[in-house]
Amino acid sequence: MTATPHVQRLAERLIRFSCRRLPADQGAERCQEWSAELPAILHDETVRPRVMRSVRALSYSAGIAATTRRLSRTAGWSRRAPAPAWRDGAAQVQPNNLGLRATIGLASWLVIIFTSVSLLRAFPHPHGWTVVLILALAAAFVIYCLTDILRAPAVRYLPKWAWALICVVQIPGGGIIYLSVGRVGRSHSPLPPGSAQSP
Amino acid sequence: MKLTGPLERVLRVLTADLAARHYGYDLMKAAKLPSGTLYPMLARLEQEGLVEAEWEAQRADAGGRPPRKYYRLTAEGARVARLELAQAAADDRRAAASATRPAHGSTQ
Repeated sequence: MTATPHVQRLAERLIRFSCRRLPADQGAERCQEWSAELPAILHDETVRPRVMRSVRALSYSAGIAATTRRLSRTAGWSRRAPAPAWRDGAAQVQPNNLGLRATIGLASWLVIIFTSVSLLRAFPHPHGWTVVLILALAAAFVIYCLTDILRAPAVRYLPKWAWALICVVQIPGGGIIYLSVGRVGRSHSPLPPGSAQSP
Repeated sequence: MKLTGPLERVLRVLTADLAARHYGYDLMKAAKLPSGTLYPMLARLEQEGLVEAEWEAQRADAGGRPPRKYYRLTAEGARVARLELAQAAADDRRAAASATRPAHGSTQ
């Protein structure tokens, strides 16, 4: 009846995935350490309602992904050597304006939802062609996001397949989240002056 | 060592009881920090020799719970942390004092 084991497995998987960025011996130990925290999070009685524990466990593993990225960057390891220069460049621009990007994404999502709800109220029985137009628009947006993910040299925070899934599952919210948070802007691609090339 | 807000919170928790051992989630809750901030910080502190980590011995009464890694300050870490926190507190006091002092010409 409870989703806890599934969430734990998913979170463990995310942690294991993140640990692949670290050198093998360290990755194994870190993976063990971080996975061992999951039961404490998922059975933390002080966190209510229960679903918040799952949310916490997943955001915990997202933080682990950020951690391994930062650790591997400061130590100069790359996951698959030799990494192309643009990948380093992309990884180095951890946006410090993440909050701003997320807010813009959320705002545009709210605007879209609000507009569609009010339109639906104003015209409760849309014509056939309107529906087709909206569906086409939605499909175009999803296809745009998917191709962007597919062609991007790197994406942030989550693996590409996870972003693709998010874009498809929540239309248009997922795509907006990807574009505002997960996308690595092309303008960031060049390496900042003086930064070390990967060995 | 530059004392940032999150680092200060972690050091406060760690210095509160030097003998206490903290595991990651425990520290996250006590210092109110996300994992993505806490663990890189711990790794850095460990590298600088200010924090030491040890694995919990597998206990029979743990109910199948995997062993945890516990963190605490080293002697050097405790010394540095106290110094930094005292410094920060002094800075705060000075800032507060200058903020509450009325500016020239503001009162008759």
